[in-house]
Amino acid sequence: MKELFPKQHVMGFGFSLLLTIVALSVVTLDMSYNIAFTILLVTALAQATVQLVLFMHIGESEDKKTLYTSILYAVFVGVITIIGSLLTMIWGYQ
Amino acid sequence: MKIDSSLPLEYSTEENRLKIFGFWIFLGAEIMLFATLFTVYFVLANRTGNGPTGSEIFELTPVLFETFLLLTSSFTIGLGIHAMRLGNKKAMMTFFITTLVLGLGFLGIEIFEFITYVHEGATITTSAFLSALMTLLGTHGAHVTFGLFWGIAILIQVAKRGLNAQTTNKAFIFSLYWHFLDVVWIFIFSFVYLKGLIS
Repeated sequence: MKELFPKQHVMGFGFSLLLTIVALSVVTLDMSYNIAFTILLVTALAQATVQLVLFMHIGESEDKKTLYTSILYAVFVGVITIIGSLLTMIWGYQ
Repeated sequence: MKIDSSLPLEYSTEENRLKIFGFWIFLGAEIMLFATLFTVYFVLANRTGNGPTGSEIFELTPVLFETFLLLTSSFTIGLGIHAMRLGNKKAMMTFFITTLVLGLGFLGIEIFEFITYVHEGATITTSAFLSALMTLLGTHGAHVTFGLFWGIAILIQVAKRGLNAQTTNKAFIFSLYWHFLDVVWIFIFSFVYLKGLIS
């Protein structure tokens, strides 16, 4: 039975629950918007990394360099789309 | 065809390795798809018109349940793949069924949430904010719904044919898809619900 629950997965699950509770602190505790947003950004990125590395085993095959590159490229395009749109439509640039 | 016996069964043929590789490329495209939906949401989040704002309609408790269900289902499908690599078909199927039940629970809460919104007068046509919100949530929910059928199809194949190079490959690719949906949900949880509740 024990072999069905590898340490890596159990730790990853515990870590993701912990990150959820930390993210939740932005609602339960009183803090400035900038600090809250930073906490959300850090916890969400950490969650995504836990999933990719511990659960999806992105680094286990010999293609791992290509996989990391294509996922990072997709994230790059996504972030440019989000930041660029906010810059032109909401924040302004003057 | 090169066979590398140090890798698990789902990587055992050239075709299997390429399918897993190709699925990661597809996930890259999915990241960009959800990035555009998040873009629309962020740009329109304050355009509430005469409708309610995010902090008025978002409720923390059901969202926390959804998050917990999806996080746990991501954990159980990881355990399912681990059991599959040990060659334990029964444990693998049990973990996969658990995953799908948790996914169904998630979907149930989400549908209930949508019904609540509509009863409160917050429909997809009420404001630009709600259009963007429901498109984002709906696209994620549609992915989960599709995943439930996909998971059932894989369970049937594993039950009938056992764990071989084909079925393990399909199950592994499905697990990548399911973990990815959890990642997307984490971003929805953080930047739609939690952010909406504090601003």
